[in-house]
Amino acid sequence: MSNVKRYGFVIDPARCIDCRACLVACRAQWQVPTGKTRIWVHTNGVQGEYPTLSQQFVPFQCQHCTDAPCITACPTGATYRREDGLVMIDEEACIGCGLCINACPYEARFLNEEKGVAEKCNGCYTRVDRGELPACVATCVGGARLFGDLNDPESEVSKAIQSKPVTRLINDVDTQPNVFYLQPVEANNPSWPHAKEPTPAETFWQKVAVPGTKLAIGAAVLGQAIAFAKQLWGGESEFEE
Amino acid sequence: MSTIHLSLAERKRLKDKTLTKHHVANILTHWFNAISWGFLLATGLAILARRVYQPVPAAWSDLLRNLFGGLAPLIKWHETWGMLWAFVLIFNVSLGFRKYFLPFGARRMMLNKDDLVWLQQYGRKLVGLKYKLPDQDDYNAGQKMFSYVVVGGVIAIILSGLIMTFSHLIPLSLRWLIQWAMPVHFTAVGLVVAGLVIHIYMGAIFPEERQAFFSMFSGKVNALYAYLHHRKWYDRYLAAERNWEAEQAAGETAGPTDDLDALLEREV
Repeated sequence: MSNVKRYGFVIDPARCIDCRACLVACRAQWQVPTGKTRIWVHTNGVQGEYPTLSQQFVPFQCQHCTDAPCITACPTGATYRREDGLVMIDEEACIGCGLCINACPYEARFLNEEKGVAEKCNGCYTRVDRGELPACVATCVGGARLFGDLNDPESEVSKAIQSKPVTRLINDVDTQPNVFYLQPVEANNPSWPHAKEPTPAETFWQKVAVPGTKLAIGAAVLGQAIAFAKQLWGGESEFEE
Repeated sequence: MSTIHLSLAERKRLKDKTLTKHHVANILTHWFNAISWGFLLATGLAILARRVYQPVPAAWSDLLRNLFGGLAPLIKWHETWGMLWAFVLIFNVSLGFRKYFLPFGARRMMLNKDDLVWLQQYGRKLVGLKYKLPDQDDYNAGQKMFSYVVVGGVIAIILSGLIMTFSHLIPLSLRWLIQWAMPVHFTAVGLVVAGLVIHIYMGAIFPEERQAFFSMFSGKVNALYAYLHHRKWYDRYLAAERNWEAEQAAGETAGPTDDLDALLEREV
């Protein structure tokens, strides 16, 4: 057993009845602005032909990816990963540029207009740090949401993963999410990940600004180095100037 | 090597005479600017975290984040000092410390015919060809060119910096402003730093311009340097002195004698 924690969620869509108590608990915990939410319950609607009808509800949220594109996109590190794997936003440092929102393949982030910062599920780190479960997990009456240390084989999440076949929401991008779904999970969910293009400003920064300034500073340093070498080689005369 | 012929005795005489090139407000602004650039560049580089944008090792970021107590306080320091720097510059340029900065534009930025020849001839000098530099005013054509990079860069830096500092006031529909402010800030700083490399070498290390370095402490340059490098300014300086003396002799009121710029601006 590793001493390093790796927190993750296990979600069982079969146990979700779309009561949305988790959304309410999350909103109450973090004062999520009206009209926005940090977690969702997705559905593809009613499937099949009468009388064999079914409908699946898929709880959804930030996937706390190990290879998180939001962390890569953030220019300052205001979005970062804790040692225990939770992907966080430093609200004091975030300037709300929105590059992380654009980069998230799960579209699990939004801009809090009032605060001017990006916002998303933070795994209820304040609760977790004092040994409690995230609000959504604690409140789920059906037990559709589990949370715990994936590195601990005795944890509830590890046991759930070992006991049943699981999947992760991976499509054309694999960012190594730490949210596992007990199968089956209905396909064609609109929030399944898709690769995102960088913004024009990011492209300019990487393709023009960085090489351009490197070239300018490099040329200046080289030019002055040559002049300095000539100065050392030639020596100075007090009354020439 | 200069092509102007002056005897050794004349050179020695001129070296002993000093002329006032910079006033105390100019000197203080320069060093406040220099310290601010050092601080803002150091903290700005540490704020950048994404490797693809980051020209210094990650250890620099870690060091400064630890020193300042984290990313958020580091950003606050950078923003606060940045606004102080912008305020001092804008105050000096727009209102002027005893109006020394107001005549900056015309004589010190506009390129004239001699300046174009100077740039061309200086290029020949740099590659080791024969050259003849035309006379220059108190700022030579190279300094004038650098002033465009600095003035343009500083305007871009201040505007983009204010957008990022007050990002929470920007409506959702204008988020692209913040996204563009970051690379604009980065590029403008990068280009000014490229100019600063030349500025620091030419000002502090290059032997021909070393007088310029000392003048940023004392405000004074010796007359030999002024004669060889800023002949037009040197001639005006002498004319202003003669003019003042003539007015004194004629018993006229010469106006405030400590206001050198006013004297130099007058028709002589």
